Amino acid sequence: MACTLWNICKNNINGPFNSVWCGSVRCGHHLRGKPPGIAKSLEEKLLEKKKKDPVLSFRVDIGFPIVLSSRSKKLDERLKVLKEQRKNTQLEKLARTKSLLVDLNKVRQEWLTTCASSHIKERADHFGIFEHLYGDAYFHPTVPLNVSYTQGDIEHPVFFGNTIKPKDAQSKPEISYESDSKTLWSLILTNPDGHFTEHNKEYVHWFLGNIPGNKISSGETLIDYLQPFPPKGTGFHRLVFVLYKQNQKIDFTNYKKNGKCLNLSERTFSTYEFYKKFQDDLTPAGLAFFQSDWDSSLKEFYHNILEIKEPVFEYDFPDPYIRKQEWFPLRKPFNLYMDKYRDPKEINKEFLQRKLKNSHPFKTPPPPVPYPNAQNFSGYIPSWLKLEKTKSRLGWGRINDIK
Amino acid sequence: MINLRSCTRLANRIVQETRNASTKVQNSEISPIFTNRNPRNLEKLRIAYKPDGYHVDAPGKCYWHKLHLTKSERYVSAYIEHFENGAVVKASTSEWALKKFLYRYNDTSAYINLGRVLAQRCLESGLAEIRCDIKPRNSDGKVALFLKAVQDSGIKLEEATQYKPARPWDQYRQEKPWEVTE
Repeated sequence: MACTLWNICKNNINGPFNSVWCGSVRCGHHLRGKPPGIAKSLEEKLLEKKKKDPVLSFRVDIGFPIVLSSRSKKLDERLKVLKEQRKNTQLEKLARTKSLLVDLNKVRQEWLTTCASSHIKERADHFGIFEHLYGDAYFHPTVPLNVSYTQGDIEHPVFFGNTIKPKDAQSKPEISYESDSKTLWSLILTNPDGHFTEHNKEYVHWFLGNIPGNKISSGETLIDYLQPFPPKGTGFHRLVFVLYKQNQKIDFTNYKKNGKCLNLSERTFSTYEFYKKFQDDLTPAGLAFFQSDWDSSLKEFYHNILEIKEPVFEYDFPDPYIRKQEWFPLRKPFNLYMDKYRDPKEINKEFLQRKLKNSHPFKTPPPPVPYPNAQNFSGYIPSWLKLEKTKSRLGWGRINDIK
Repeated sequence: MINLRSCTRLANRIVQETRNASTKVQNSEISPIFTNRNPRNLEKLRIAYKPDGYHVDAPGKCYWHKLHLTKSERYVSAYIEHFENGAVVKASTSEWALKKFLYRYNDTSAYINLGRVLAQRCLESGLAEIRCDIKPRNSDGKVALFLKAVQDSGIKLEEATQYKPARPWDQYRQEKPWEVTE
């Protein structure tokens, strides 16, 4: 019954109206492109875009190979330890009562001798260390490098990306690593993030060459130690210690800088070019890095040591998207619409002038009113202006830009 | 390589002042645009891009670093995942460094010690705030104790939201995280 009624209505009564109405109804589901499952998802498409050609871009290992000891021998030793562990009733008791707390230092020492080098390499990759120091090359830090700053009684060790403030890193750190006394080493501390003029260059903060064994004090000091000085507003800088093993004694006289070397342009450095020059005789073996950001002690450093004004930076956010202006913007408040296309400086100037008009240079400003919107508007004021004034009284919107 | 995302610009005032003094001192040559190449910098300043996930996605896509815990029949392992770089900090009871000091590799004390070791490694890499979506079933179970051990070692299992700059027509201006002094 209903069906026939519908058909009568559709065909006979008010024909032209119905045909127009029926045409505008969306009938059915139209699928654009391939169906899901066959079509690639966004994730797959992005992966495909990021994919690099393995022939053109591949990474080169420039470090020492990870030493693999005999597996069966290692297994025998480990099984022995584990069997003893099993028999240890005290350990079992602790484990069962949930009170077994392993010594974290011992775990760390054991970690350094087993899988640390690959873990450290992954973390350094996460911080973009190899990319920015060596381009397409990387290495596994096979020699554990211990670096630690001491400020007063507090020790600040350098690990793999922890934060150390500039005031804690004012003096040279203590460095230790295990080595044969007959070998020669060099150590470089660089900052790949802090160059004032060229963004792809580094500042070298410390350069020691031809260190016999692990006697840091008897190495040649080519460039003296300079504390980190990340300017205000630039965030966290990476400071990277790289320990190189030398095949022979190397003549670094081109890099030698006398005195404290406070001229920053002389400290400009590129690890990539340096390594390219000495790659036959140098092999990176140890790595440690920390991050440092601005603190108040740096003001004095800039003024007294570098003898410059302290630079202050601010992050440059992209401008907000504003769509193209229309001829007839319908249903849009004219004042808000026009403000979007004006120079923001001009608008801020207007707000500031209005504020200064009512403020006296010598008298104390009147105390803020408890209910700012409970005041009358005198005379005729259009509704849009009323709204603007209300907003300014409440401290909403553009008035915040001049505060 | 110019990292546009981490460009910082000198305030106008500073540019003028340094120009006036450029002949006197050697060090005063400073470019008005400073680039910090550190890929973790913007995440630390809370202004890096953070994926939001799409509205039909399962929740849990919005993170810079996230904690994961996986268990196999004999061992437990935990790792920190970065949304772009994958697993960046790892720890497992199958590692010899941990295995050597444990009695069993998937009992409660193994979970607790795994949490302590992972937290230590995170702090060594400067990660103190990590998102965690793991919901422990029992409040005194293995997983809950693992999370407690991670927290007790100084890790905050919560990430700050991304700071987005206010547009001129916005009602309020958000406080800039890098201007807050402790």
